[in-house]
Amino acid sequence: MTDMTEASVLLARPAIPYGRFAHYFGRAAIYSTLGAIGALQAFPLVWLVVTAFKNPREVFNSFLPSQLDFSNFVRVWSNLNLPGHLINSLYVTSLTVAITLAAATLAGYVFARFRFFGRDALFYIFLAAMMIPSQTILIPMFQFLKQIGLINTLTGLSFSYLGSAVAFSVFLMRSFFVSLPKELGDAARMDGAGEFRTFWYVYLPLAKSGVATVVIIQSMSVWNEFMFANTFISSPGLKTIQSAVFQAVDEFSTDYGALCAGLMLALMPIVIVFLVLQKQFVRGLTAGALKG
Amino acid sequence: MPTNRPSSARFALRQWNWVVPAFVAPAALILIVLMALPMANAVVLTFQFWNGMTPPSWIGLSNYQTLFSEPLFWSALRNTAYYTIATVVLKTSLPLILASLLSSGVRFSVFFRTMYFMPVVISLAISGLLWKMIYEPNFGLLNETLRFIGLGNFTQIWLGSSNTVMPSIIAVSLWQGLGFYLLIFYAAIQGVPSDLYDAAKMDNANALRRFWHVTVPMLRPVIVLVIVLNTINGVKVFDQVWAMTAGGPNHASDTLGTYLYSTAFGSVGNPQFGYATTIAMVILVLSAVLSIIQIRIGRRQEVEY
Repeated sequence: MTDMTEASVLLARPAIPYGRFAHYFGRAAIYSTLGAIGALQAFPLVWLVVTAFKNPREVFNSFLPSQLDFSNFVRVWSNLNLPGHLINSLYVTSLTVAITLAAATLAGYVFARFRFFGRDALFYIFLAAMMIPSQTILIPMFQFLKQIGLINTLTGLSFSYLGSAVAFSVFLMRSFFVSLPKELGDAARMDGAGEFRTFWYVYLPLAKSGVATVVIIQSMSVWNEFMFANTFISSPGLKTIQSAVFQAVDEFSTDYGALCAGLMLALMPIVIVFLVLQKQFVRGLTAGALKG
Repeated sequence: MPTNRPSSARFALRQWNWVVPAFVAPAALILIVLMALPMANAVVLTFQFWNGMTPPSWIGLSNYQTLFSEPLFWSALRNTAYYTIATVVLKTSLPLILASLLSSGVRFSVFFRTMYFMPVVISLAISGLLWKMIYEPNFGLLNETLRFIGLGNFTQIWLGSSNTVMPSIIAVSLWQGLGFYLLIFYAAIQGVPSDLYDAAKMDNANALRRFWHVTVPMLRPVIVLVIVLNTINGVKVFDQVWAMTAGGPNHASDTLGTYLYSTAFGSVGNPQFGYATTIAMVILVLSAVLSIIQIRIGRRQEVEY
């Protein structure tokens, strides 16, 4: 309370004439601040794209290329086997997201709609699992994958992500199901729908935005994950795009044109998905953070 | 509360039936096998010596003793603290200020948000590689630009000198994270009732006062959330640092994350998995303790209206 009373005392001063000049000056200051920071944010990426299209001889000479040169792309595409790495990443991402979504939707629904002994305790365990830094399980996971023969496989890599992905997604899905009215399910049951049909035909279609949030957050984090991908996969052909590009840096150390082309190709899929699904992306990520 | 009325009994949560075990089982199984067991194994590993080849052997508290007497650990802890404090301050205050500027009725706000947000979707490793090129001392973009605009004296060996390496890494982290936290604050500001701002305007509160006396108190829970997220991400920082410097030069940018990784997988032929897991425990304990303290403080100082 003290904060506010103090505030109102301070604010009760006579009005300062707030002229037109001050108004436009203020607006100009806001726009130039926002613009300058926007330029700083965009510049590294613009530079990356521009450099990728430069002839290797021009890379360090001028900012803009004199003509579009695709030789960098040709060089990385064939030397790095980028399509193969992109497919590896796609496989790991799809598998992880599919399993996570199935498990998290079911569990999130039960946590939101049922009352049973030990529910809260179980839910807190999921919550705690969400907070565990991935480093903590790095080495035990390495050991475990080795024991079950899934080290150096893409399926094993996908499994290594499931623990934290499921914990976080259960939490998210629960918060989406909680926001749906209970009466819907009761009505469905009165019409003779069983438990599974109530879930599948009544609640799941209404939790679409939750499903989209889980898909977006998990796809992005698995696609971009680096530490596990770089550790659990050792065969060059099986590397995901992140660790393949990381390994290639030494090979292309001073060939900035090729390096930029490689980085650009590596981040293009996610940037394109982002630009196409921008609204869902932003809504999903903010919902994920605000509910989490 | 509706629970007092008999007619609402059918609106109550469903009781236990076959759906509960069937629906929870897959998630619980995944959590047990792929999170709880590795966690338990991690605790066990901290009491063991294991190099990945020969079977692990019990060595008691020796890993912890080594850890606390190892200067490299303390310098990694110092760097991690430096990184965490700097990113918590910068990646909370700047996004908050920019989000309220963006909410002050500017045009093209969607365009600005897209520009700010773009780096967020890029992987930390790739942005590390990109900035490594930008920071390159001889022909990297940053030094080239400085020379071009006549500030040649300010050129630095950004990632190669122990004085500039941490600030350079922190700048990249700010570049990458700014848009994400900005969007969280932006979404939260949209939820602040506009009559609060109108009332403040009636009281002749200028923009700065409206920010300090309306936006900041109303966003308090979100600010705490952003601080906690930044702390957790700061304590475990790895990807960008590994991609840019791998902890160098001479451990000047070694964080707990990179120190752990290089003891486990860095030096070829001498992996110390037990010791590395002990470092991981420090990361776990630090991020848990710090976030609990922050949430507690955030709750206690909540203002009533």
